[in-house]
Amino acid sequence: MSDPITHDDLMRFLDGELPPGEHARIAAAIDSSTELSREVSIYRAVKGGFQGLSFHPGTYHHSVWDQVERHLTRPIGWILLVGGVAVWTGYGAYVFATSSVDPWEKLAAGAVVIGVILLLTGVIWERYREWLTDPYRDVYR
Amino acid sequence: MQPEVERELIRKCRTGDARFYEPLVRAYEPSGIRLAVAMLGNMEDAHDALQDAFVKAYEALHRFDLRRSFGPWFFQILRNHCRDMLRSRQARFKLEVLDERLELRPADAEKGPERTRERAAAKELLWRALERIGEEHREILVLKELQGFRYNEIAQILDIPEGTVASRLFHARRALKDALESMGAEFP
Repeated sequence: MSDPITHDDLMRFLDGELPPGEHARIAAAIDSSTELSREVSIYRAVKGGFQGLSFHPGTYHHSVWDQVERHLTRPIGWILLVGGVAVWTGYGAYVFATSSVDPWEKLAAGAVVIGVILLLTGVIWERYREWLTDPYRDVYR
Repeated sequence: MQPEVERELIRKCRTGDARFYEPLVRAYEPSGIRLAVAMLGNMEDAHDALQDAFVKAYEALHRFDLRRSFGPWFFQILRNHCRDMLRSRQARFKLEVLDERLELRPADAEKGPERTRERAAAKELLWRALERIGEEHREILVLKELQGFRYNEIAQILDIPEGTVASRLFHARRALKDALESMGAEFP
């Protein structure tokens, strides 16, 4: 006695995923059973209907490559920018510190720079903490 | 795209040259957008998901096994990204593609307006049914019927045993059939 036909067998039959011998066995079983034939024709109709939902070629005009490329090359831009600024800042600080300017002028200028950096860091840190606890951060629209 | 060419492009990308990623993006974006639209239901979110998935895939290329095919691996990333978007409520399945999808095709015009209307109504019914059946059923149907993947590839993309694919497809097709019937569709 041959094995009963399961739903998985029917799906493999419909999708052409059975070896030839097995395919012939299922086909014969379907031919000899009204119930199985009806079931197969229903799933074939569902399958056919879904496949009819193909894209109109005109619905997808533009490639995402430009945006993808921008994402991929952005880190290089940032590395160069931050690296360049760091080198120039270091060099500027060295030239300023070793120049013949009065020490009180160096102290005053240094205080201004350090003050700006501290304020900026404080603001960034505050915004970051707010962002971490923002319940709507994933809601874009 | 031939597997050897694909592997060579990936090797070049791994050296940090993003220019070699372009042929891969262009080769896989048409099928990628189909999968994303079917999962998210609208072109705008699908476009965002596709773009993010390509960036993620590029960043993960060093982990890619060159013996595998890029397609299923990429679609796994895209599918997971679409699911993340749906879960984080950045997107939800919306049927905004209906109008575009139901656009008149040149062949339809020859068959007359009545036939065109019938066909559009049938498609709309199918899209409404797809909306009802849920994400898990929808994604496996898309992979099989729209993308035409074999069972072993679907298993790889969905990260499930190959033996489970037929069973998942059966439940998805039955859910779609039930949804269509509940909306008045008749089967022979």
